[in-house]
Amino acid sequence: MVALDPEMKVFELIDAYPELLSIFSRLGITLPFGDISVEQMCRRDGYSSKLFMLICRMHIDLSYIPTSEHISEDMLGPVIGYLRATHRYYIEYMLPHTGRHLNDILEHCDELSRSMLSRFYADYVACIEEHLGDEEQRLFSNVERSETSADMCNYELDQPHSDIDDRTGDIASLIVKCLPEEAPTTLRCTMLAHIYMLRDDLRRHHNIERYLLRPLVEKFVNK
Amino acid sequence: MKRYRIAIVEPATVVGEGITAILTRCGEAEVVCCCTTLAELSSHRAIRNDIDLIFLSHTLISDVASLSEWDAIPIIVVQSGLMSSEALRRFAAVVSIYSSSEEIVRAMHEAADTPIEPSYAESHELSERERDVLILVARGFTNKEIASELNISPHTVISHRKNIVHKTGIRSVAGLTVYAVLNKLINSEQI
Repeated sequence: MVALDPEMKVFELIDAYPELLSIFSRLGITLPFGDISVEQMCRRDGYSSKLFMLICRMHIDLSYIPTSEHISEDMLGPVIGYLRATHRYYIEYMLPHTGRHLNDILEHCDELSRSMLSRFYADYVACIEEHLGDEEQRLFSNVERSETSADMCNYELDQPHSDIDDRTGDIASLIVKCLPEEAPTTLRCTMLAHIYMLRDDLRRHHNIERYLLRPLVEKFVNK
Repeated sequence: MKRYRIAIVEPATVVGEGITAILTRCGEAEVVCCCTTLAELSSHRAIRNDIDLIFLSHTLISDVASLSEWDAIPIIVVQSGLMSSEALRRFAAVVSIYSSSEEIVRAMHEAADTPIEPSYAESHELSERERDVLILVARGFTNKEIASELNISPHTVISHRKNIVHKTGIRSVAGLTVYAVLNKLINSEQI
């Protein structure tokens, strides 16, 4: 494993961990990087390199949990900014993109499979959008308006994510097990690759909310 | 308080009656049937859907064919001799004839909470009863309503649902509904 260091070149970081590319994309960090370091890139684009590296670390290693030493109160605003950007990334890119791959498969399927899977996916997207919207309204906006309430600390993050995780897995199971033979394997595999990518990203997102956002919100409320 | 409905299959009368006494005394279980062989248990077909847990003598665990009939129900093995841990791994819990009353009651709770591994038949096909439960889940019935409709206990419904999830790999009710329709278990008009 290549050690993460703000002094490393941006290209070295991407080359070692290509799965981090989507972070650049969702934060709107523009290419080219030339030969600049992560520190220089963060300074250029107005991000904290400490937080950027922390988010990278949590993306690379799902089991990594930051301790209080890694978290400082001034991270709250930027973390919410990152989470909002991730929500947009899901809603504007990942979900429609995955939906298009599903439609490609369904074009080869019978009417019943088409209607059932389309409806299931539409409900799935609606469920994610509802959760993300609720989170933005009840949690992020209150923090941004500096309004505190005990409800913010008790805001349920885990159950909605668990439900979404179940449904994400269900899409994969249905595509593998239930679609008729006419659905081409190549299209199925492409769709599955996307759905697993989405599942893993949602799990990382949940981890960032659970282990980074929640302690920051608790500090904010108890200040 | 939840009362588990128990079947005991134990050739040694003194052991069977001892477990019956312990379970009855704890107030959380009702022994609905105490047999000495699996064949005798199979003859009680009428109560099959009414049993939450089975206490089974370790001397009978090699009868895989007979056990496959009961793969939707958690089994607690009653050990009276040495057994390899590998042979016991597929069961929900294990107690010994030297276990205390508390240990036996605890094992009953553990077994009730353990998802069933369909290892006997090594099959991922849904059983007839699991299909019945799946259809009702897809039609929007609650566990209580399914139990009432199929005349089984809510705990048995939960066991069937765990098996359905394990076998289909699908966890959400919406996903199970799609599964049921695409596998022609139910018409899309029925949901």
